[in-house]
Amino acid sequence: MLSQLDKEILINKDFQQLVKVRRRVSWSFLMFLLGLYSAFGFLSIYSPAVLARPVFAGGIVPFGVLMGYAILASAFIITLIYVWISNNYFVPLEKKVIDAIKAGTRT
Amino acid sequence: MNYTAISMFFLFVGITLVITVWASRRTKTRSDFYAAGSSIGGLQNGLAIAGDFMSAATFLGVTALVYSTGMDAILFIIGGTLGWAVILLLVAERLRNLGKYTFSDVVAFRLERKPVRTMSAIGSLAVAIPYLLAQMVGAGALIQILFGLPYEVAVVMVGVLMTMYVMFGGMLATTWIQTIKAVLLLIAGTIIGLGVMSMMNYDFGALITAAVSEHPKGAAIMVPGVMFTDIITVISIALAFVFGTAGLPHVLMRFFTVPDALQARRSVAYAIGFIGYFQSLIFIIGLGAIVYVTNNPEFLTADGGLIGGSNMSAVHLSKVIGGDLFLGFVSAVAFATILAVVSGLTLSAAAAVSHDLYANVICHGDADRDTELKISRITTLVIGMMTMGLAILLEGENVAVLALIALAIAASVNFPVMFLSMYWSRFTTRGALAGGYAGLATALILVLLGPTVWVTLFGFDKPIFPYRYPTLFAMLANLGCAYWFSVTDKSHRAFAESESYDAQWIQSEIGPLEEQS
Repeated sequence: MLSQLDKEILINKDFQQLVKVRRRVSWSFLMFLLGLYSAFGFLSIYSPAVLARPVFAGGIVPFGVLMGYAILASAFIITLIYVWISNNYFVPLEKKVIDAIKAGTRT
Repeated sequence: MNYTAISMFFLFVGITLVITVWASRRTKTRSDFYAAGSSIGGLQNGLAIAGDFMSAATFLGVTALVYSTGMDAILFIIGGTLGWAVILLLVAERLRNLGKYTFSDVVAFRLERKPVRTMSAIGSLAVAIPYLLAQMVGAGALIQILFGLPYEVAVVMVGVLMTMYVMFGGMLATTWIQTIKAVLLLIAGTIIGLGVMSMMNYDFGALITAAVSEHPKGAAIMVPGVMFTDIITVISIALAFVFGTAGLPHVLMRFFTVPDALQARRSVAYAIGFIGYFQSLIFIIGLGAIVYVTNNPEFLTADGGLIGGSNMSAVHLSKVIGGDLFLGFVSAVAFATILAVVSGLTLSAAAAVSHDLYANVICHGDADRDTELKISRITTLVIGMMTMGLAILLEGENVAVLALIALAIAASVNFPVMFLSMYWSRFTTRGALAGGYAGLATALILVLLGPTVWVTLFGFDKPIFPYRYPTLFAMLANLGCAYWFSVTDKSHRAFAESESYDAQWIQSEIGPLEEQS
């Protein structure tokens, strides 16, 4: 069912590399963020006192508020890192795959 | 009567009508109508996406949530932002690489077109219509308070304007209106946030102390548990935000307005920046409202409640910060927000009917261009009339249930089906249909039997299903059925569908090859 072109892409080393690394990067970033969020959710039910405790002894800002802002900030930082990796690593690799395939079809 | 609000609102409407006329001259093909000719850049699309998300529900609703429950609202604030990380990391580039105008294109890529498109069109409509109604009813009430207009007049105004934007201007007009509104809303939010912080001498700790001392619940607002007390509810809300956002048809449609996967990625990155920034302001605005609105006699009714309900807390706060002039600006922005969001929803509902059902199910995929466009415009008109009528009938009803249904269905019907079709090679048509309809039925039945409908609407003493949010169960029902009915599917069709996964997978990773050459 696969076209000749698709078969060539599937065995292309750069393509395999691209897919493997991209999958690893995006899933680990996602799991990291969802892990933080789950931690917040479970804490808010099972030990709300931890979230209510001030960050510094005698301070005012509760840990939960700091954690909320920290998760927002990490989502943003991860976005920047992902875009950076994409532009500097995935996009060139994609181009390489496509160029190789095109060169292959011409000959 | 607030004349600043009214004149600013008319200025906004005037500008949007000029944009609609301009856009209508440029809207000739299907691609123009559904996807603005795929000509929007990453930054603008990012603003438009952020605009779709920063609806009246976020600006007024989440502020109200901070205002009444304090720390519990953080669950919503984070969830709303993380939904976008899911889109960035798993969905955006693949969606752009595989689809044309709607997310159903992706689901139907290798599965059987007719049944699968019918199902995902039902999923889109089941999200868009209740969400649209919730916004319309909310808009009517809000405008009644802000501008002193009768409810029916307000609903008809919103309905007529959104129908005109979409019918004549298509996605191009909708995108520009959303962009302008996003900028206005970010400006309004920034001014309110800065206003609160400056009154507190830029001391966040002082803001929290003041909020705790003004709030009737006192120190309890800085401890989670005012609103959520069980883990099932927390998980369902988290799932609805994190995966429901990636199942909203009007948001997914925006990824087809950019030229390629690179711009799709860039647009979500900008969107996450804007949304994260706005969400962090919301918490400050909510605390500010506690400090300056809760015990301010100017905003209280005779029996001590807030004029217009807690949804008005952000609007009242704007009066404290900038007087009548700024109150007018914020009111006009709130109105613009509703207009822009309902337009996007209407367009996605129209596309589900004309592109998915008419062109691909009824016409087998080769509909005449002009007829398809005519159908989508007629659908827009019908949806506009229908929602106006329903919104007038629903005056004063509790519409929270509608928004709840919409997000639950997005998370338990649209997202799992789209996700599995992208990532799981053994996903078959049978699995998609079983999963999609199981998720839809579970979500609807559980909402019906739950506290919101069974107790509040029907007046029974006890709900049959104890939880307000059905997402956890409906998602599991979808995934379970999708898995079981796919792996047990031994038909030739199922075999062929798994075979063609590799081709789809390659295109989802590097884009359509013919476009590259």
